[in-house]
Amino acid sequence: MAITAFLTDSTLCIGCKACEVACKEWNQLPDDGFAWSGLSYDNTRALGHSTWRHVKFVEREPVWGLGGNAGDHVSWEFSSDVCKHCEHAGCLEACPTGSIVRTEFGGVFVQPDVCNGCGYCVVACPFGVVDKSPADGRAFKCTFCYDRQKAGLMPACATACPTESILFGDLDEMRRLADERVATLHARGMTDATIWDPRETSVGGTHAVFIVRGDPASYNLPPDPQVPTIYLKPAWQSAAIGAAALLGSVLFAFTRHRAPA
Amino acid sequence: MPVQGMTTEQRLESIRDEAQRLGAVAAAGVRAAGAPFPQATGETGYYGLPLLKPPTWTWEVPAYFFVGGAAGASAIVAAVAHHSGADHEAIAHDARWIAAAGGIASGALLTADLGRPERFLNMLRVFKLQSPMSVGAWTLTAFSSAAAAAAFADAITRQSRGLTPVRVLGDVSEALAAATGLVMSTYTGVLIGATAIPVWHRQARLLPLHFAASAMASAVSMLELLGHDASELNTLGLMAAAAEVGAGVLIELDSDPASAPLTHGASGLLTRAGGVLAGPVPLILRLMARRLPSARRSAAVASLAGALLTRFAWWTVGRHSVQFRCAEAADHR
Amino acid sequence: MPGLGTSFGRGGATTAQQDLQNADAILIMGSSMAENHPVGFRWVLKARERGASIIHVDPRFTRTSAMADMWVPLRAGSDIVFLGALVNYVLASNREFRDYVVHYTNAATILREDFRDTEELGGVFSGWDPDARKYTTETWAYQGAEPTPHQAGHEDAQGGHGKDRGGESAELEHYQRDPTLEHPRCVFQVLKRHYARYTPELVERSCGVPRDLFLQVAEAYTSASGPDKTAAICYAVGWTQHSVGVQIIRTAAILQLLLGNIGRPGGGIMALRGHASIQGSTDIPTLYDILPGYLPMPFFETDSRTLKAYIGKHSTSTGWWHNFDKYIVSLLKAWYGDAAAATNDWGFNWLPRVSGDHSHFGYWLDMADGKLEGLFVMGQNPAVGAPNARLERKALARLKWLVVRDLVETETASFWYDSPEVERGELTPDTIGTEVFLFPAAGHAEKDGTFTNTQRLLQWHQKAVDPPGDARSETWFVYHLGRRLQARAAKDRRPRNAALNALTWRYQTHGRHAEPDAEEILAEINGYTVADRKLVTGYTSLTSDGATASGCWIYAGVMPARGENKARGRDAHGRYGHGWGYAWPADRRILYNRASARPDGTPWSDRKKLVWWNTSTHQWDGDDVPDFTKDKAPDYIPAPGAKGDAALSGTQPFILHPDGVGWIYVSSGLKDGPLPAHYEPLESPLGNSLYPQVTTNPAADKKARADNVYVEAGDDRYPFVLTTYRMTEHHTAGGMTRFLPHLAELQPELFCEISPELAHLIGARHGEFVRISTPRGAIRARALVTPRIPPITANGRTIHQVGLPYHFGRRGLVKGDAANDLIAISEEPNVRIFESKALLCDVRRDPDGALEDRR
Ligand SMILES: Nc1nc2c(c(=O)[nH]1)N[C@H]1C(S)=C(S)[C@@H](COP(=O)(O)OP(=O)(O)OC[C@H]3O[C@@H](n4cnc5c(=O)[nH]c(N)nc54)[C@H](O)[C@@H]3O)O[C@H]1N2
Ligand SMILES: Nc1nc2c(c(=O)[nH]1)N[C@H]1C(S)=C(S)[C@@H](COP(=O)(O)OP(=O)(O)OC[C@H]3O[C@@H](n4cnc5c(=O)[nH]c(N)nc54)[C@H](O)[C@@H]3O)O[C@H]1N2
Ligand code: SF4
Ligand code: SF4
Ligand code: SF4
Ligand code: SF4
Ligand code: SF4
Ligand SMILES: [Mo]
Repeated sequence: MAITAFLTDSTLCIGCKACEVACKEWNQLPDDGFAWSGLSYDNTRALGHSTWRHVKFVEREPVWGLGGNAGDHVSWEFSSDVCKHCEHAGCLEACPTGSIVRTEFGGVFVQPDVCNGCGYCVVACPFGVVDKSPADGRAFKCTFCYDRQKAGLMPACATACPTESILFGDLDEMRRLADERVATLHARGMTDATIWDPRETSVGGTHAVFIVRGDPASYNLPPDPQVPTIYLKPAWQSAAIGAAALLGSVLFAFTRHRAPA
Repeated sequence: MPVQGMTTEQRLESIRDEAQRLGAVAAAGVRAAGAPFPQATGETGYYGLPLLKPPTWTWEVPAYFFVGGAAGASAIVAAVAHHSGADHEAIAHDARWIAAAGGIASGALLTADLGRPERFLNMLRVFKLQSPMSVGAWTLTAFSSAAAAAAFADAITRQSRGLTPVRVLGDVSEALAAATGLVMSTYTGVLIGATAIPVWHRQARLLPLHFAASAMASAVSMLELLGHDASELNTLGLMAAAAEVGAGVLIELDSDPASAPLTHGASGLLTRAGGVLAGPVPLILRLMARRLPSARRSAAVASLAGALLTRFAWWTVGRHSVQFRCAEAADHR
Repeated sequence: MPGLGTSFGRGGATTAQQDLQNADAILIMGSSMAENHPVGFRWVLKARERGASIIHVDPRFTRTSAMADMWVPLRAGSDIVFLGALVNYVLASNREFRDYVVHYTNAATILREDFRDTEELGGVFSGWDPDARKYTTETWAYQGAEPTPHQAGHEDAQGGHGKDRGGESAELEHYQRDPTLEHPRCVFQVLKRHYARYTPELVERSCGVPRDLFLQVAEAYTSASGPDKTAAICYAVGWTQHSVGVQIIRTAAILQLLLGNIGRPGGGIMALRGHASIQGSTDIPTLYDILPGYLPMPFFETDSRTLKAYIGKHSTSTGWWHNFDKYIVSLLKAWYGDAAAATNDWGFNWLPRVSGDHSHFGYWLDMADGKLEGLFVMGQNPAVGAPNARLERKALARLKWLVVRDLVETETASFWYDSPEVERGELTPDTIGTEVFLFPAAGHAEKDGTFTNTQRLLQWHQKAVDPPGDARSETWFVYHLGRRLQARAAKDRRPRNAALNALTWRYQTHGRHAEPDAEEILAEINGYTVADRKLVTGYTSLTSDGATASGCWIYAGVMPARGENKARGRDAHGRYGHGWGYAWPADRRILYNRASARPDGTPWSDRKKLVWWNTSTHQWDGDDVPDFTKDKAPDYIPAPGAKGDAALSGTQPFILHPDGVGWIYVSSGLKDGPLPAHYEPLESPLGNSLYPQVTTNPAADKKARADNVYVEAGDDRYPFVLTTYRMTEHHTAGGMTRFLPHLAELQPELFCEISPELAHLIGARHGEFVRISTPRGAIRARALVTPRIPPITANGRTIHQVGLPYHFGRRGLVKGDAANDLIAISEEPNVRIFESKALLCDVRRDPDGALEDRR
């Protein structure tokens, strides 16, 4: 089975939100409520249990005569966010029921029939992706269109994208394309274009690679994300010390008054 | 899905008020220069919206941290007391029951917090060392059964004077309860320490010790309030309180923005209140205990309140922590 | 779209969206293509990725600007100045594509001595009749050509969609040309003089576009045109919805003809149209003044009473329209079948006659005055979508009955109990006499049929699911309604029923509900030989002797044989989208493509070759279906007295025009002048810097009345420019989006876009409510403060513009006031469209809705 991935190129994204809607349609997700955010044209705000693809609108002051495509200027950037399907996935590691599994396509999949809604994956995701539905009680996130991939189809979001801003395919191929693309963009003067694919951090890379212009942090793509399992060692060490201390102190307290017989 | 902690309206209001005051806005997500309209920047992140999802846990979870911790520590006390002389038998007896009751309560609390309580048993589908929640679920199961068995055996032994198999069962389960009790009273620190929540994972080293101390303090205080005034308990109380003072100091000294919720705002107050009641107050009272014994009861009450507050404080700071993602991103840079 | 029709011969986009990928520059102006044609926009991005420069000229920085290389904010309503200045730039720097201009346009044609330009008459052309407020076009004609037998358009009733077919029938057999383009009265010289004052300085003053920025655009665009380069223009309603809409498009046409960008790959004018099949609804019109295939509707009295006279008036002796008789007779045969015979003029007199202005606004105002009894509203939501929606809603209350067929209960259907008027007590349900019938309609996925999209492309859509409950297709509704009417008429043989009785109205039906077979209808539209009912393979097979029938001649060939429905085609290949659907006429993707070759038939350049004369096969070959008689050699010279297409030489690519060339200058067919001149919007903060005496389009009809009031010049209560637009997230009047959670949540509330400066000026803060008002109405919206809609400095004044999406209404999951409560009903002279893109308004801070309606 091919290990697949997304390459989401924000320099080709027109912010049409077709991916967001296609995802909701395919997965029959509920709406997020109808609240006006005042945050540019983004009213769904973030990924969550009811939004698995989310289009961000990063607004900056436009300059007369320069469109967003101009080499030396970014004015209004759109970027479609999704579960990163981490190589080392916090959610998967943390899940106590084994509900979250790695699929044959390399995706990270929550089995709805196993999840008992303990909510531990929610605090284990370094990207705030997976979330527990208050209504349903279980945790939900992008399935990487496991059902479609099994049937040999492209994910709904990538299929809907009119501009090929969302590419989908073999992971290595996507990474190669990303490098090529950024090289081209730099050649065109868009030197602020960067690839976001935290391979050097403990997350070990993702199956959702992004190309953005400007500071990835402004897209809420953290510069140096860590999978929480890296905190296990120090924590368990202290736990051991703590346990020893407990036992020690009790023994000490209950035996020191004993006069030797 | 409103912005964490604020409805859209409130958020807009705050942006506007700031705009009004400064003629320009510096609130998270809003560009400082020029007229006020939201902007997404490297400093504010995406309009200052939290990167992370706040914990979805409800009050049962911090309550469980408290009860489970106390129960675990009690089981240790029970075991040691049981084997350190007849004059400790009374303490051992009550400690056993606290452990047993706590074990059962813990199970109930944890299940209640699940989105799908009927699926609690799915926790035992697998055992995952890398998942503190999994380790915890198994430990809790083992602990509560052992503690219950121990207490049960103890009850039988009291009527039917010492049937050997029962006593053996009692001793074995008591030992098991004590062993798992050690995990019970510490692992919850690992549970929240090993998460993506900045304020939690920053304290991954401190938390298990912090929780251990608080667990012991609770167990001791409970026993004291049940009327036991053996000086052993006061000694344990003193050590726990001292440890809590240490934890408090470390927390106060941490100036990292990711730890801000521990010292700022409502969550900060809660943490400090918990810290004071769990650390300095009982410490002083217990030191006074030689001269006026009544101080011990007050110390016990303070410790219990402190321990309870502390667990709720840590739960609360976790939910505020997601607001500080940019600071966190910054300190990674 | 007479702007294109008069310039090139056909009223449709000259190119296909796929072809945009072949462009070297794309000027997107009066359109936010990325937002409103997102799927087609992929081809623009492909061009961009190939190095083409994308230029977006728009008052707002939109999703499209964000994808462009250059964004030029201009003052709404100043487009002709901007485009005129581009024309002037080309002429002044001799950057025109000479060979193309000389051979393929009417630049060389010499005009009459008595023609006078706006530059001479201070804002009007010769022939202006101030009392009748319209032009007599005699003086506009070519030197030597017989003047057209009648005035521009139909004398009394105006309405101009008929002109989509390309100008009035002008007899242009004899006219004089000066290939050197030196003759003082040749179109080229007239053009030079006409645009001499449209300078970069004027652009800076009138459009508020910095001089240097304009020059940058001019250079980028001009340098991307020539023998081996082409540039395309995309526009939509940001151009059309103006009192000078048609003339804006004309200016673009002139620019493209001068640069040789028509009929060539990567060139052309991409008219981006609206609804999925809005092109189809002018080809087979839902309009009152044309018949299918752009044949004009006969007019009462003023128009011919006999078919012969009617044909005589509308066919031309030279050019393709010489075939006019074939198309009208075939149409009548398709409609009246055996009842149509030579003896009864093929039933010509059964056709209804136009008796006045029956455009949307024409009859709606009649309705407001109680002159209408009943109304069918199918697939429209005027209570939200139509200008002066307040007036429109109140007019509904004066009907006896109203039938609404829609997917949802729209504001139009519910006006009688939940409109703002009812809220304000202007209307009360128990005093409204209108009986409202709401029919559930089947959506496009619930029925078979075609869309004819923005690029004249017929695309078949197959029924995916059965319509729910009582929902039925339009075909079903209209077919069965017709059957019932016929059943009644059959019993009543009065002449008034003759047409109904003669009508062929029998189609195969299938299914439980007797749904008519859509493909059988398409077959009838395609046309067939009456004798054996064999389908025709193209409109060249149609005859005027009643041997053939065709429901719409331009569609002939979409179904060349039974069971062969080319609109179903889905295997696209090549760079022009061949194989996907069927483009009228004759599956030509790029119109006038003969112009892609030199007069001698060889391509202008290898890079831009499309069709060429194959010297071995003696035919036109190429990557597209030649828009030219296949075997007419480049050196073909018509014999004297030759008629029709035969009268056009081998070097005349614009075969629908009697003179076979593209019209830089339109001698007849337009009601507001042969050349575009700048006029201010009907409501404007500025005077006309070019023609101080003539501020606005003199031929436009303001329809001013007590309930359709305008801001008078100098009324400072309405200081800001308002422009309305669309968002990707919603569709038009919202019936298809406000009711769907997955779309409604994306833009859940009405907002208006204002600059930080304007926000500061009126003391409004981001996200706060403001009240926007015009003399027509007032609405409430959130203030979305953004630098994407900057203030403009024109004529030394700072002009603040307000952007307002028009999708909201009072029903659905997300609600909001209707922008159209603010807009006036006005009529551009040629197509009678209203001005929604540039008007005046006031904006005030209104956090708690305190401000009352100041009307
Ligand atoms: N998602 C979506 N797609 C649609 C529609 C929809 O409602 N939603 N509607 C469909 C229909 S019916 C149509 S007709 C088309 C319309 O497609 P468009 O014409 O692209 O739609 P608009 O947004 O109304 O207007 C386009 C742009 O014109 C700009 N503009 C306003 N005034 C002026 C001016 O004076 N000069 C210039 N140069 N620009 C100006 C506006 O700022 C706006 O950005 O879209 C079709 N596609
Ligand atoms: N201020 C301002 N006003 C404008 C514009 C603007 O730019 N600014 N744009 C103008 C333009 S270009 C247009 S096209 C109009 C559009 O204005 P309208 O055409 O009045 O608005 P729509 O919402 O497109 O109406 C189409 C209706 O048809 C229904 N429908 C969809 N499919 C079917 C079907 O198969 N059968 C039936 N019976 N109904 C169906 C939909 O639910 C919807 O309610 O708005 C115009 N008004
Ligand atoms: S992004 Fe979060 S939810 Fe997605 S795989 Fe990584 S950890 Fe899991
Ligand atoms: S909520 Fe469900 S998926 Fe998430 S950790 Fe718990 S069981 Fe696993
Ligand atoms: S892969 Fe499937 S589930 Fe994931 S975002 Fe795309 S459409 Fe949604
Ligand atoms: S569908 Fe493609 S272009 Fe549209 S928003 Fe999503 S990623 Fe961007
Ligand atoms: S809605 Fe249809 S017509 Fe409009 S852009 Fe999308 S696909 Fe094209
Ligand atoms: Mo439209």
